[in-house]
Amino acid sequence: MQRIIQTSLSVWLLLVLSACGADYLNINENPNVATRPPLDGLMATASLETAENHQAVSVGSSAYFVQYLASPNPGSSTDVYDQVSNGGAWNAIYATMTDLYDLIRFGEEDGLTRHVAIAKVLMAVNLGLIVDNWGDAPYSDAFTGQQLRPAYDDAASLYPTIFSLLDEAIALMPAAADAPAVGGGSDFIYDGDLDRWTKAAYSLRARYLNHLSETDQYDPAAVLAAVDNGFTAYAEDAAVTTFSTRNPWAQVAVNNAALVLGGWLSEQFVDALNGTTYGTFDPRLPLLTNDNEEGDYVGTPNGEGRAGTGTATSESYLVTDGYFSGENSPLDIITFAELKFIEAEAALALNDQDRADAAFAAGVTASMEEIGVDGAEIAAYLAAEYGDAVSRDDIFREKYVALFLSPETWVDARRYDYAYADFGLPAGAELSTFPLRLMYPDTETNRNGENVPEVTMLDPLFWDN
Amino acid sequence: MKLKLSRGVLTLLACCLSAAAWSQQTVTGTVTGDDGEALIGVSIRIEGTGTGTVTDFDGTYEITAQEGSTLIYSYTGYGTVSREVGTQTVIDVVLEAGAQLDEVVVTALGISRERKALGYSVEELESDQIVRTEQNNVVNALQGQVAGVQVTSAGGGPGQGARIIIRGINSLDPGANNEPLFVIDGVPISNETLTVGGGGERNVSNRVADLNPQDIESMSILKGGPATALYGLRAANGAVIITTKQGAAGGLSVNFSTTYGTEEVNKFPETQNVYTQGYEGVYDANSFWPSWGPTVAEARAQDPNHRAEIFNNYENAFQQGNQWRHSLSVSGGNEKATFRTSISRLDHEGVLPFSTYENTSFRINANYVANEKFSFGGGMNYIRSGGNRVNADRFSTRLTYWAPQYDVNDYIREDGSMIGYRNGGTTGNNPIYGEATNKFIDDVDRYIGNLRFSYSPLPSLTFNYTLGLDQYSDFRQNYGQGSVYPGAPNFEDNLSNGNGFVNETRLRSRDLTSNINGVFSQDLGPALNVRFLAGFDVFDSSYDRITTTGYDLDIYNLFSLNNAADIRTSSYVQRRRLLGLYGDLSFSYLNSIYLTLTGRNDWSSTLPVENRSFFYPSVSLGVVLDDLLELPEIISFAKLRASYAGIGKDTDPYRTGVVYGNPAGFPIEGVTGWSRGSQQGASDLKPERTNTFEVGTNLRFLQNRLSVDFTYYDAKSIDQIIPVPTSLTTGFSSFILNAGSMRNHGVELMLKGSPIATDDLLWDITLNYTRNRNEVIEIYEGIEDIFIGSHFGYAGSSASIRLIEGQPYGNIYGRSYARYGASDDDLFIDYSQPLLIGDDGFPVIETTQKILGNTQPDWFGSLINSFTYKGLGLSFQFDTRQGVQKYNQMGNFLAAFGVAPYTLNRDETIVFEGVTADGEPNTKAVFLGQGTGPDGESYGAGYYRNTYRGSTENFVEDADWFRLRNVSLSYSLPASLLERVFIDNATLRITGNNLYLKTPYSGFDPEGNRGNGNSDDGFGGFTYPGVRSVFFTLNLGF
Repeated sequence: MQRIIQTSLSVWLLLVLSACGADYLNINENPNVATRPPLDGLMATASLETAENHQAVSVGSSAYFVQYLASPNPGSSTDVYDQVSNGGAWNAIYATMTDLYDLIRFGEEDGLTRHVAIAKVLMAVNLGLIVDNWGDAPYSDAFTGQQLRPAYDDAASLYPTIFSLLDEAIALMPAAADAPAVGGGSDFIYDGDLDRWTKAAYSLRARYLNHLSETDQYDPAAVLAAVDNGFTAYAEDAAVTTFSTRNPWAQVAVNNAALVLGGWLSEQFVDALNGTTYGTFDPRLPLLTNDNEEGDYVGTPNGEGRAGTGTATSESYLVTDGYFSGENSPLDIITFAELKFIEAEAALALNDQDRADAAFAAGVTASMEEIGVDGAEIAAYLAAEYGDAVSRDDIFREKYVALFLSPETWVDARRYDYAYADFGLPAGAELSTFPLRLMYPDTETNRNGENVPEVTMLDPLFWDN
Repeated sequence: MKLKLSRGVLTLLACCLSAAAWSQQTVTGTVTGDDGEALIGVSIRIEGTGTGTVTDFDGTYEITAQEGSTLIYSYTGYGTVSREVGTQTVIDVVLEAGAQLDEVVVTALGISRERKALGYSVEELESDQIVRTEQNNVVNALQGQVAGVQVTSAGGGPGQGARIIIRGINSLDPGANNEPLFVIDGVPISNETLTVGGGGERNVSNRVADLNPQDIESMSILKGGPATALYGLRAANGAVIITTKQGAAGGLSVNFSTTYGTEEVNKFPETQNVYTQGYEGVYDANSFWPSWGPTVAEARAQDPNHRAEIFNNYENAFQQGNQWRHSLSVSGGNEKATFRTSISRLDHEGVLPFSTYENTSFRINANYVANEKFSFGGGMNYIRSGGNRVNADRFSTRLTYWAPQYDVNDYIREDGSMIGYRNGGTTGNNPIYGEATNKFIDDVDRYIGNLRFSYSPLPSLTFNYTLGLDQYSDFRQNYGQGSVYPGAPNFEDNLSNGNGFVNETRLRSRDLTSNINGVFSQDLGPALNVRFLAGFDVFDSSYDRITTTGYDLDIYNLFSLNNAADIRTSSYVQRRRLLGLYGDLSFSYLNSIYLTLTGRNDWSSTLPVENRSFFYPSVSLGVVLDDLLELPEIISFAKLRASYAGIGKDTDPYRTGVVYGNPAGFPIEGVTGWSRGSQQGASDLKPERTNTFEVGTNLRFLQNRLSVDFTYYDAKSIDQIIPVPTSLTTGFSSFILNAGSMRNHGVELMLKGSPIATDDLLWDITLNYTRNRNEVIEIYEGIEDIFIGSHFGYAGSSASIRLIEGQPYGNIYGRSYARYGASDDDLFIDYSQPLLIGDDGFPVIETTQKILGNTQPDWFGSLINSFTYKGLGLSFQFDTRQGVQKYNQMGNFLAAFGVAPYTLNRDETIVFEGVTADGEPNTKAVFLGQGTGPDGESYGAGYYRNTYRGSTENFVEDADWFRLRNVSLSYSLPASLLERVFIDNATLRITGNNLYLKTPYSGFDPEGNRGNGNSDDGFGGFTYPGVRSVFFTLNLGF
């Protein structure tokens, strides 16, 4: 008996002593996650999310401000400009930029230049979304985890950052060609194709240079120079067509069909295409949405909410057989059509009417061809609506349709002072005029209040004069 | 008839357990009551061994014990007495009826100590106090029975989880576990309510609900730091120490008990029955809107098929619940070896259709005294539990939408498709069809085991070792049925991602504990005794889980992942280890002054290496004044106690670094995504501290007929480890930081009286009162608030719970009616200010969030009466909770959908009392209904949808309640009747729970929350409704 006890005590002591070893407690490294992520994986997340962020900005604010969409509920805050902050998009964009920050950082450490070059283009476009929607924003203090409350950089100072990110990316492209490839499928936009990325970088450069149209920095020649190195066909559009479940606009359409209402087309947009505003029926309309039970295309007036019961098909919505709201529809970041309208606008600014006309026609044609309008219809539409010399109004009108659902249109609307035909304030507007920027989200005012600029939705951004 | 174990079996059992047999000292004696009558069945235990015997018919007993050990005599209704075994061979004991002078309670580490020696408050519940409640969830059995303990539940569903908070919430962290540690027979066990796989909205059980209440001998509640200091950080929120029933020496005894219970919803919301389906007063049998149409009479004029009386959807949809529990236990043994084994089975079908719960429990406990120095024992409990957990929230939400002119119970066609309420039954979700086709079934297999060894090399020295295991697996299956044919009417949740879905979660949790300690006790003179205890504790916890979801079923009702077109999987593994070294030094002087010092050092795997070791002390003092001072005759006992403890606390695993994970939605076509984790861990975390100070007194009067126990406590937690919410621009959504402090202080009062104590009739009264005050003292600088949770409300009226500095935990924020002259900066509404009425004649909604109430009660209490008269027993318990508010989401919906009775005034035109923006009294008359009013103006969706539902203020309701928690009447058949049969005793009991409820709250029973998490407390509405139940129990002993 004594021996049993002695033995068991010894065994126990042994256990205790070995247990006391530090190794026993060194188990706090999380086995479910990585401390250093595969860079292809960061690329996958960031490239997919960059496209999704465009949708988040649009569905959370800009599509309602430019009246692509209208809420089925009266007085919806995005319809009537009621302190709209679109915090969901802000947070999503910063999450993406955080991954891009790490992708650039780790890519530079590991010599993955191809990843770095692509990441810089993506960083530029995400930063562009932030600046163009909210204005001043944290960047130089951001992403590090060192600052509990990052300071805000001036919006005007962030534009040079966008250009330098794009320029650095373009400069890196030749060297990037020799760097290790991006894993197959991990670049959701171009699958690692540097030629296309170079064109996209130039196209974006053209876009952001063109944003300065109302400032004294505007240089239309520089815009055209960038355009010359940009996209040459809509097959080169920067877009994502592969999704986790489905295109997020398709999700809106699916939800709407299941009576989680959303994706209702605005009267403004529908009337611009159904002949009400301009007299000619735009052949793209049936390819974007549905007609109602009477066979008419009917939009919903912003701010007024639904006229029908909400359950019968009385209006036009995003539907899964619409070109931009199908399961695998392209979710655009920047398109060839957009570039052509940028070119037309810059050429017009330089009084190069021929180039403007050609670019305009190419833009409309690209938009229609891509959506599936046949050549004869395109020609008929152009002939019916436009004469010899394209005007700035024509450019903004067609760009508005071609960039359906794109957040870029809100930049245009502000540069164009919302001068679209028949464009009016929504019913019950909370503002006296059209909104010029978003409010900062609650997560900022609650958690970083001391740095958040005091703004209203009527304070123009630096490029908006 | 007495069954006796044959000597052979016993010998065999003994041989199996040990070969050794030492000579022992045999002690005999008689136990009598203070009236001189012999007491039968008095339990006699040898302290620290778990072995013992009981007195026979003559009140005599015989037990083998070693010199120096302590015998503890206890008998229900009588006090407990302890006697040390010396050289004497006869120990006669007199037990005093109703007296509890030498009462022994179980304290930390399962150590039995005289209550009077303690410097802190401990309360203990005995088996009959637990069983009489007929609560299947042991946590619910504590309701109202112990001061300082607040039990809330997620309603009255079968197997439904319950939450227990002792002395308030101690943590600012919304994700913190604020519940006490549960320890069963020396082994800490899991009481997690795991919400993975959709278990949150389904209100799965807290794991203590697995236990069979009839296995429990006693529950000891250790409330504060000083009481739990020896347990260490895991008991920082208190501890519930459960001791299970052990076998007793002396023959075999068999106990069989069977209970049938039936239940119904105890409180329904009131609904209007005048207006029917349609909108703007226009009847439409296909309308989505259940109650914004015309009156029933008007509808019938248009539609002869319309019923003459519409249904109350709630009363109509819920059913009567039923349950059966059968238990059988067998116990016995001799003075060396004892055992008890039990088996129990519960089948419970709830009031919400398709809600079920089953529990099968098997337990065996065995103890063996090898000799006067060595004894050991063990226990093993196997449990299988689970059932179909309904989604009460979705059910009641859909009931609110359901047009009450149709019978919701008519839910399925012969072809298996849904019968809705619109368009000829082809659309409009039927909630009962939803529950029939959208299920969540959990299936738990659990093993709780312990092995205990005790070795006393010297009379004054004992070593104890306990090895414990708590392991369970849970297979959770959540599925939604596809449409029976393409386009067939179906419940919308079944179609959210294709045609039907299957979600499987398999998880495993394993906690291993090992605890060794030595106790040395020595008299250092005639008056001074010293006792020293030191020990070492190991806790090793591992948890893993895999969740797989398959969408879009090929065969609509084959709920196998193999049948799904789109499969998503995620997995998680977690480990945590703790080591603890502890010591306890106690002095007792003149059996009147008791001083205890404890210290414990913990090492936690979850903290950074340099901060993982931390020490904390406690000191407690108890002074019994009787022997020290001349006390007035009326005072029979007086004790003062005071204690202080500082408890350290670690954090959750994996909070010390920056990591990268795989975002939801990936992999996509073979590509894995990575993304930086949203939480920045801190490599320099240090342990949290909770410093608790407690003073109290116990006074007894009139020969212990009246007892007062009062405690004041003050606990402050500092350096709390919380995820501080950060701007997303930092690259994270939160930083883990040592940030913030919070204080709880309060009083607990317990009065016990025995107004009548005669030979035949005994009447005991217990009154419990608890009042806790909380204050958030500090949050990390620059952080305005900590968001705990929110609950949806229409038109911006969602309620949220947030913590801000200087305010108590649990404030409910939301929108309100604007008051004239109020400032945006006001935290609260000044109800003395008039309502601000807009130009349209309706009250203006204040969109700045105001504090509308608080989820934590001002005070709560209970009154328990028990009578015994010969074989008859009657007890009843009143509980109350006062000064507490709750957001009633259901109220918000009932307003939005015109179901609430106050919406009957929709045909009226009134002038709202209040002032307009210029301060003048409002004079504008407005129509309360929808559409065009009698004045020709358009009122759109009407007052209730445009205005009323948008003010959270209307739905944050007083949720005070007063209830008759429990009434229990039992009758034990006289022994004379049973003499000729083989039954030793027979008891019949009838119990009623929640027979009476009084509350101003307008929804279901306000005791139910939407779940068991910190973020669920205070949010009611579409919960599983509370129930009123009646139980019939037959208990037979052989």
